[in-house]
Amino acid sequence: MPRRRPAQLWHLVAVPVLGAVGLVYAFPLYWLLVTALKGEGELYRVTPSLYPLEPTLDAFSSVLVTRGFLGLLENSILVCGATVVIALTIGFAVAYPITRLKVSRRLRLGVLNWALSLRFLPPVAVVVPYFAIVRGLGLYDHPLALILIYTVFNLPFAIWMLKGFLAEIPSEIEEAAFVDGASRWMAFCRVLLPLAAPGILASGVIIFAFAWSEFLFALILTASPRAQTFPVGVQGLVTQFQIIWNDMAAAGALAIAVPLGLMVLARRYVLAGLTFGVIRGQ
Amino acid sequence: MESASDSRLQAGSASLGQGTREPGPLARQERLAYAILLPVLGTIFVVVTYPLLFAVDQSLRATRGGDFVGLRNYTTALENPLLYEALAATGIYAGIVLPAEILGGLGLALLVHRTVRSARIRMAVYVLATLPIVIPPVAVGVIARLIYAPGYGVLNHLLMLAGLVQAEIPWLSRRETAMLAVASVDVWQWTPFVYLVCFAGLQTVPRESIDAAQVDGATRWTLFSRIELPYLRPLLLLVLFWRLADVLRVFDHIFILTGGGPGATTQLLSVYLYRVAFKFFDTGEAAALAVLVMLAMSLLYATATRLLPLERD
Repeated sequence: MPRRRPAQLWHLVAVPVLGAVGLVYAFPLYWLLVTALKGEGELYRVTPSLYPLEPTLDAFSSVLVTRGFLGLLENSILVCGATVVIALTIGFAVAYPITRLKVSRRLRLGVLNWALSLRFLPPVAVVVPYFAIVRGLGLYDHPLALILIYTVFNLPFAIWMLKGFLAEIPSEIEEAAFVDGASRWMAFCRVLLPLAAPGILASGVIIFAFAWSEFLFALILTASPRAQTFPVGVQGLVTQFQIIWNDMAAAGALAIAVPLGLMVLARRYVLAGLTFGVIRGQ
Repeated sequence: MESASDSRLQAGSASLGQGTREPGPLARQERLAYAILLPVLGTIFVVVTYPLLFAVDQSLRATRGGDFVGLRNYTTALENPLLYEALAATGIYAGIVLPAEILGGLGLALLVHRTVRSARIRMAVYVLATLPIVIPPVAVGVIARLIYAPGYGVLNHLLMLAGLVQAEIPWLSRRETAMLAVASVDVWQWTPFVYLVCFAGLQTVPRESIDAAQVDGATRWTLFSRIELPYLRPLLLLVLFWRLADVLRVFDHIFILTGGGPGATTQLLSVYLYRVAFKFFDTGEAAALAVLVMLAMSLLYATATRLLPLERD
């Protein structure tokens, strides 16, 4: 019987601890939204109010229209979308042979470990040569430079996640298609791709979110609204001499809303993917 | 037709089980695999390796003029006292952030694992814990600014409201509090990731081992230290390396929140490298630093693959 006591202790601790953790996560996000919804007049009150007295979307329209962040939004969507498509295509070209073809264990593990080692490339170190190379190629301040680099840095995720999803599809299904006379390419397009669709969606959402978040390369390799991405714009509002708090908060809220919205929409598929096959491998 | 496909299926699964028994189709498939992999991996290899060689070349040349100067950039880089301040700051940052995230994530995972029985609540917590991972660090920096900034920061306001402090605390301009503020952002964003890994790891502990231990009268603590922790150890090691690699590249939220200040208190290695390269435009020294950082990372990666059970798939 004395063994029951610690269990009750855990329960006693659980509610306040989880409540406090919830508050620590909810309040900052709430505060960001509240600040974004405040009008200009409310910013200069001596004691900030904990909720918007007269909620307004002025800050959002100021950021998107007056400051021209709509253009940055377009750049970001273009760069991230292209990154997703290219990274997934290359990811398939790597993940398919090592999961669906009978290859030696050494080849499979070699490819996977090499992909993982790419993840250890420190961006701040490679950005030094990239800067010179990109300028030399005439791609400075061009979205193409970002697309290329984001693709390389997201490949490890693409390969590992697709490998996890592909490995879960039984090979008998594909083999049945071969028996029915399908070529390897047809079996891939007609059988494997539809079955892997949830996994592709999950990987796509996660890669999009990571590319969307990227800041360092975008900061250094772009200079004008022609190629700047959304996070670079957000940063521009922060380091100004005088910070317009509601504009900054609105920009921050938009920067969060896009990946969060995607995650919530695709949550069913993303959940399986977020563990990168690491946990599945256990 | 039916029976033919059946036998083919059986042959297929049989060859799967036996592995290398059938040299014919195996060799053909492996050839196809190489035919697909080689051009793709070759391209990636060139795209990744060329910049590294480029950096080595940059590091051996003078910033102005581009004359070959041997290792001079390396000695300049290593003689700069700011480098050691940056390393110290990185060490302090890692010393705060890694234990906080790993203990916090593990503690929360145990708490939820032990107390929450409802599958729906577990799922909801899991979904919520995935969200901070996709929040742009720049946006988290913005939030932190709204919390810690002088004048408008809500933390001072709340503390004064609760009567805990009388005057504003200048969080971002004091040495100790600035480091804590910057570290708190990291802990906020990444503890949920550690939680996810630990929580998922706890689900894989076999029920029988736990039941057997409980029959033997194991306490909660021995249950954790003797059964659950050994199961989690490889995962925790993986998370530690993963987060350590992240700490060495952390940049965004520090750039937004303190810009490395006050002084060089929060100027971690990556922020320092950024300043050498893009504020002082000393390309030679920056390239030397970049090469050194890449070497350090390769070392970290080599250690990680030695220690980690990554060989399974």
